[in-house]
Amino acid sequence: MTASISVSMRSDGFTRHARSPEARLLSRLARNLPALLGAMVVLAVVIVAIFAPVIARYPYDQTNLDAIEQAPSAAHWFGTDALGRDMFSRIVWGARSAVFVIVMVTLLGLALGVPLGAAAGYFGGWVDTLVMRVADILFAFPGLLFVFFIAATIKPGIVAWARSIGLTDLARSGYLDYAVVIFALGVVGWAGLARLVRGQVLAVREREFVLSAQAIGVPTWKVIARHILPNALAPVIVSISMGMGDIALSEGYLSFLGIGLQPPTPSWGNILADNAGRYWRTFPQMIWLVLIPGVVLAAVVFAFNFLGDGLNEALNPEISP
Amino acid sequence: MATLLEVKDLRTEFHTQDGVVHAVNGVSFTIDEGETLGLVGESGCGKSVSVLSVMRLIPQPPGKIPSGQVLFQGRDLLRVDDEEIRSVRGHKIAMVFQDPMTSLNPVLTIGTQISEALELHLGMSKEQARKRSAELLKMVGIPEAERRLDDYPHQFSGGMRQRVMIAMALSCSPQLLIADEPTTALDVTIQAQIVDIVKRLKHDLGMAIIWITHDLGVIAGLADRINVMYAGFVVETAPNKEIFANPLHPYTLGLLGSIPRLDESRKAKLTPIEGLPPDLIEMPKGCPFYDRCVFRADQCANENPALELAAVRHSVACWNWQDVQKKRGAYLSARA
Repeated sequence: MTASISVSMRSDGFTRHARSPEARLLSRLARNLPALLGAMVVLAVVIVAIFAPVIARYPYDQTNLDAIEQAPSAAHWFGTDALGRDMFSRIVWGARSAVFVIVMVTLLGLALGVPLGAAAGYFGGWVDTLVMRVADILFAFPGLLFVFFIAATIKPGIVAWARSIGLTDLARSGYLDYAVVIFALGVVGWAGLARLVRGQVLAVREREFVLSAQAIGVPTWKVIARHILPNALAPVIVSISMGMGDIALSEGYLSFLGIGLQPPTPSWGNILADNAGRYWRTFPQMIWLVLIPGVVLAAVVFAFNFLGDGLNEALNPEISP
Repeated sequence: MATLLEVKDLRTEFHTQDGVVHAVNGVSFTIDEGETLGLVGESGCGKSVSVLSVMRLIPQPPGKIPSGQVLFQGRDLLRVDDEEIRSVRGHKIAMVFQDPMTSLNPVLTIGTQISEALELHLGMSKEQARKRSAELLKMVGIPEAERRLDDYPHQFSGGMRQRVMIAMALSCSPQLLIADEPTTALDVTIQAQIVDIVKRLKHDLGMAIIWITHDLGVIAGLADRINVMYAGFVVETAPNKEIFANPLHPYTLGLLGSIPRLDESRKAKLTPIEGLPPDLIEMPKGCPFYDRCVFRADQCANENPALELAAVRHSVACWNWQDVQKKRGAYLSARA
C-alpha cells in the first residue's frame, strides 16, 4: 500500500494542513477491499438488526403447519422449517439476537478489561499481580469450555431465583437466556482485553509525555484516561473488532448446544440446531435449512475478522506490506 | 533577594535487583527569587534525578528519598500530601524536558495540552484557556498562534515543539522553571533561539530558573550561579563568572579543559577526563572523583571531602583545592 502524504506546501513554506487522524484512518481502510467488504457486511447486519420488525415478513415464531419444510420461494425467501416458520424472518430476528449479544459482551468486556488492565499496568505491584493472576486462571481453562460451564451451571439457578422473587414472566421469557450468555462470555472475555491493555499501558507509561503531564500536576486518573489510554487504544480497537466475530461464533455454539438462547427466541445457532436433525434425515434434500443460517453466521464472523485485519493495517501502516 | 527554594541534604536512591543505586547523595542548594541556577555535570551524575525529586516525580518504588528537605514557600515538598504537590506542579514550579519530540502527547492538539494546566490550576473555562493558550504561543514566537492551536505535535518541528513546551510550562506563571537539558536534542541554531526566548521571558516574567545541562557553553550566558555535580554530589558551586575564572575542583577543571575554544590554535588537542564515573551501587569510601583525578592525594582515597568555602560565595568539595588553584594553569595549557 502506498502511504498517503497529505501535506500541501503553502507559499510561506509552512506545511498545511494534514487531515485529522480519524480521516486518515478511514481513507486507509477504504482502500483495503476485504476490510471494506467486512465493514459493509457488519453495517448490513446492524441495520437488519435494528429494523428487524420492519424487514421480517412474518412473526419469527408464527408456525404454519400447511407449509412446513418448504424450499425457498417468493413467499418464503429462505424456505420454512419443520414447524412452518418463515426462515427469512427467523434469520432477520437472529441478527438482532447476535448484534445484541455482541454489543453487550463487548461493552462488558471493555468495562471490566480496560480499567482493570490499565490499573494493573499503571500501578503495578499487588494490583498487577491480583488482576493478572485472575486473568491467568481464566486463560488456563480452554476458552469455550469455561463459557459452557458457566452458562450451563448458572442458568437454572438464575431462573429459580427469578421465580422465587415473583418474576415468573421474566423467568419464562427469553431475556434471562440473554443475560446468561452475555454474562458467561463477558466474564471470560475481559481477560484477554485486560492483558492487552496492561501491556500497552506499560509501554506508554514510560513515554516522556506522561512525565510531562505529571509535571503539570494532572491527577493520576486523568493521566491514565487522557494521556495513556488514548495512546494505547489502537491494538484494543483491532482486538475488539476481531473479538466481535468470536463472540458471534461463541453465541452460535452456545445456542446450538442448547445452553444459550432457547427457541423460540431466534438465534443463528439454535436455528441451525433445530434444523440439523431434519436435514440429516433427508440428506441431502433440505440443504437450505442449514446452509442459510450457517453461511450467514460464517459471513459475519469473517466480516469482523477482515474488518479487524483492515483496522490493524490502517492503524499500523508501517507494518503492512 | 528572598530565598525561593531551599534543598537540604537531599538523597535519592533506587532499589534495583543489582543493589541500591545512590543517585543523589546529600545535595543542598538554594535559589533566590528570580535567580538562574545552572546544574552542570555529565550523564548520570544526578542532575535530573535531583530536580525530579524536588518535584516528587521519582517513581516510588523503585525510587526512594530517604532523607532531605525541599523547602518551597515555607513548605517541605517532600512531606506534603499528593494533592498539594499536584497544586505546586505546573502552577508554582514548572518543568521543560529534554526531548520535545516525545514530551508532547501525540493524540492531543497543542491547544488542548496547553489549556490543561490553565483549566487545572487557574480554573479557566475552555474558551478562556484557549485564548490564553494563543497568547502564550505568541509569546514564545510561534507564528499564526491562533490557528496552530488545533494542530497536532507531529505538525511542528523540534524547535517549535520546544517552544510549545516552554509555553506550557509558563502557562500558569510559575515562580520556578526547571529546564532539564531543554536544548540538548536541538540543532545549534535552534538552541540559541531557545536560550534567547528563555532569557527574554525571564526578563519579562521574573521567574527563577534551574537550567540543567552538560554544556558549559550554554549555561555561561544564562546562569547567575552554577552548581557542578558529580556522582550525585555537588562538588563545586560558585557565581557564573567565578567558576570560569577560578575553577577549584579538578572535575570542573576537567570539564573546562574538554571544551574546544575559538581562540586557540586548531592543532590544539582537547584534554579529556580519563576514566569513568564510579559505580553508584558501590560508592567509593573516599572522594568519588579519586580514580580520575590528576591532583589526588592519599587522603582522597579514604575521606570524602565536604563542601567548604574557598572564596566569596564559592564552595568546593576537594581536599586539595589550593593545590588545584596553583597548578591549574599548567593543566589547562597542556593542550595548547
